[in-house]
Amino acid sequence: MKVVISNVQRFCLKDGPGIRTTVFFKGCNLRCPWCCNPENIKFDIENYEYKEEKGVYGYEISLDDLEKEILKDKEYYENDGGVTFSGGECLLQFNKIEPLLINLKEKGINICVETALTVPTETVDIAMKYVDEFIVDIKILDEKSEHKVNGNVTLYKENVKKLFDNNSKVIFRIPLVPEYTMTKENMKEIIKFLEQYKAEKVEIFKIHRLGEKKYKTLGKEMQEFLEVSNNEIEEMIGKIEDLGIKAEYCNI
Amino acid sequence: MKDKIKKIIGKKKIFYCKHLRNIKNKVYENDNKILGIIKSSKNAKVYYNKNKGIELKNLLKNVEIQNVSTDNRFYYNIDFFKTICSPHTVFGNLCIDYSIILENSLEDLKSKLDKSSQEFYENELYTIEAMELLIDRIINKIKNEKIIENISNIKNKKASTLYEALQRILFINMLLWQTNHRLNGLGRLDKILIKYYDNDIKNNIITKREARELIKEFLLELHRFYKIKSNVLLGDTGQIIELGGKNIDGRYECNELTYIFIELMEELKLPDPKVLLRVSKEMPRDLMKVSLKCIQTGIGCPLFANDDVIIDRLKDFGYEEDDVYNYGTSACWEPYLIGKSSAQNNIKSLTFMIPFNDMFEKENLSKVSNTEELLKIYKKYLKNYIEKIIDEIKEVDFEKDTLLSLFIDDCVKNSTDIADGGAKYNDLGLTGVGLANVVNSICNIEEVVFKNKEMSLEELNKIRKENFDDNNELLKRLKNTTNRYGKDNEYVVKIANEIIRFASDVMKDRRNKLGGKYKFGLSSPNYIMASKDFLASFDGRKVGEPFAVHISTDTSDAYTELMEFASKLDYKENRFNGNVVDFFVTPNFINDNFEKFVDFLMLSIKVGFFEMQMNVVSSEKLIEARKNPEKFPNLVVRVWGFSAYFKDLPDEYKDYLIERALKNESSN
Ligand code: SF4
Repeated sequence: MKVVISNVQRFCLKDGPGIRTTVFFKGCNLRCPWCCNPENIKFDIENYEYKEEKGVYGYEISLDDLEKEILKDKEYYENDGGVTFSGGECLLQFNKIEPLLINLKEKGINICVETALTVPTETVDIAMKYVDEFIVDIKILDEKSEHKVNGNVTLYKENVKKLFDNNSKVIFRIPLVPEYTMTKENMKEIIKFLEQYKAEKVEIFKIHRLGEKKYKTLGKEMQEFLEVSNNEIEEMIGKIEDLGIKAEYCNI
Repeated sequence: MKDKIKKIIGKKKIFYCKHLRNIKNKVYENDNKILGIIKSSKNAKVYYNKNKGIELKNLLKNVEIQNVSTDNRFYYNIDFFKTICSPHTVFGNLCIDYSIILENSLEDLKSKLDKSSQEFYENELYTIEAMELLIDRIINKIKNEKIIENISNIKNKKASTLYEALQRILFINMLLWQTNHRLNGLGRLDKILIKYYDNDIKNNIITKREARELIKEFLLELHRFYKIKSNVLLGDTGQIIELGGKNIDGRYECNELTYIFIELMEELKLPDPKVLLRVSKEMPRDLMKVSLKCIQTGIGCPLFANDDVIIDRLKDFGYEEDDVYNYGTSACWEPYLIGKSSAQNNIKSLTFMIPFNDMFEKENLSKVSNTEELLKIYKKYLKNYIEKIIDEIKEVDFEKDTLLSLFIDDCVKNSTDIADGGAKYNDLGLTGVGLANVVNSICNIEEVVFKNKEMSLEELNKIRKENFDDNNELLKRLKNTTNRYGKDNEYVVKIANEIIRFASDVMKDRRNKLGGKYKFGLSSPNYIMASKDFLASFDGRKVGEPFAVHISTDTSDAYTELMEFASKLDYKENRFNGNVVDFFVTPNFINDNFEKFVDFLMLSIKVGFFEMQMNVVSSEKLIEARKNPEKFPNLVVRVWGFSAYFKDLPDEYKDYLIERALKNESSN
């Protein structure tokens, strides 16, 4: 069995507890305008030519080889470290990679996922069997605007409910984008939602433009967004903490 | 050189300035002001006598005694205009056992001398008398009563307080510098000082705060002459203090002083003296935290030496257990048995690239069709090269050294000077450089020539010799191939280990003049000095560009990958002469991830690095400081095995640091 990934990054410190190796799968079903991994939207390997530069996004890797890569830093996974599956939308690969998940679990490797959770419910069922921690994005909860990211709020909420019913460990992550996630309506929805689903922690972060060049190589332009002020960040943290939930600003 | 000395030898005082000339050259390059003073001085004097003890007496009779103000707490003065004659190579780059002067008075030392060798006896007796003479001169001149008491006690009492102990270390250390010794290590100060500290605190002799202040002043005294003490570059003084470490029953030992020394280094932010922390997976996590806080300031220390790896290597080599557990290092990182050894651990550089390029100059390689064949021929050249180095070393004559002989076992016991083989151990060390460039060259040839058959070896060699001019595409590829030094990939590790094991075999049975063996390591000060004018190499290095630094990568791979790689290198047999993993971290990275970075360091000890050091600085700051040095007068960076003010470095070192910092950051 082979999968298409764009990168295996060792020594990641931001994608869950401890020291981790993060696997970036190619392919996503959403279209967030602020996405910082544009090379992980399409499912297939992409060749590109940009100015003098020729390159390729993605490569095929067998599950065995991927396991070997993940285990290379095994000695660093003490203190809750392990592997984080990211992307793209990693959950879309989960029925394919189940044998890998089984092996990793057997070896006692802690598994995290970074997901937008807008995926078929069956994949969430698989994930719940193996995943130790879900890092779940909160993007647009206002149904009228879900089309802006190609989202599906109903499906998303159903999946979140599933995780909470299952007592899975969940951390929410909110990208702060004034035009999209921070509109008045959406903020209201987010707070309501957080009140209902009390996660262990909520992380908020500003989007960065490190992916700008990648957009260009793919013949696209990264959109411009309004700035987020420190006041707005503090206000947001205050609102979440008022709900009795730990909130953290992440400088990614 | 020898003729010249003979001519002057008749006179009692000679103006022979080998040592002083060295200082002048160096100071000239870096600081015009001081050069002025030395040049205009007509008082530079070098004393000579056939009897080394009398020679020392003559010197110490004449060195300038500086008056110390009443605020000063120590006497520490070196008269760099006067020294003794050293026509042969002077032992340096080592560390005496300072506990000898704490636990003995000069009287005691005298009583240990026996008369089995009249010459040795006289030399050592005069040497001790010379010290007494200096003590008398000091106490007659200075007014500070506390210092007078501490100094005069050296003659006939053991040290009894921390204050006295520190003064005694400074006293002997100052004599070493005064007598032409360079790169003088300080040893395991937390270990040898703790009983004085504990006793003082218990008996209310001083408070903890006062003790800390004393140690701070002690460090500042050591720092005082740092420009003149420096060896090749400013900052390269070899003043290394070793802290912590496992003891013989396997427990990790550290104490309050371990913490105090590291915290003071953090507070002072000086490049010199410097600290090495012996680490082990048994060490307390909070000691690692304190160390990381110190490293975070960017001063490049402590350097970590991993007891869990190093101790077994030293035992296997044949050193006695007691001595092994008390190891320190020579000036930079070469494990050294404190107070037991004459080892010159950086006697020559082992430049792995020299025989590699030589092979391409002299050999017809058109028939070589795979990597095994290429390696076979390389080994032939490597063998010749190493044998030549060892033959050259055999020529080196060492200067008799009555002072060192008092403080290095077993010279007194054997009544034999250290230069005649009196020390317990007499091994010599080479420092290796450019292994990464050789390994990467071989991997690239394998990929481009043998595997992909893109061109013949001759064609590739021609492009290389033309410095890759007009071949930028290829150059870029050669710099970015997947099999590279620093990746924990079996193939790369296999080639690296094959080469170093072979190097061991070549020198294994050779013995030096004093009967000791040869050893080597994979860290060297020479990555820039040895690569100047050196032709381009297949790893994508252009003519004159530096070789790789120690165990490092030239890509922006994860630190864990580099550690895994380093832990797979084979340091057994005689390959333990300093193996430092060297990398860059941005201050923000540690700030944002402090606890996880502590995890990383603790786990890396378990993974099994040999030694490790890092530069914590952003490329942005270095670039700014390169442009506007006046804005960053106190910016300290780690160079090969020492720390230095960035502004004092030659441009090529500055540029290489910037280049490496940029590479590290390119991954984010
Ligand atoms: S869900 Fe994540 S990967 Fe997918 S488009 Fe949005 S930001 Fe990009």
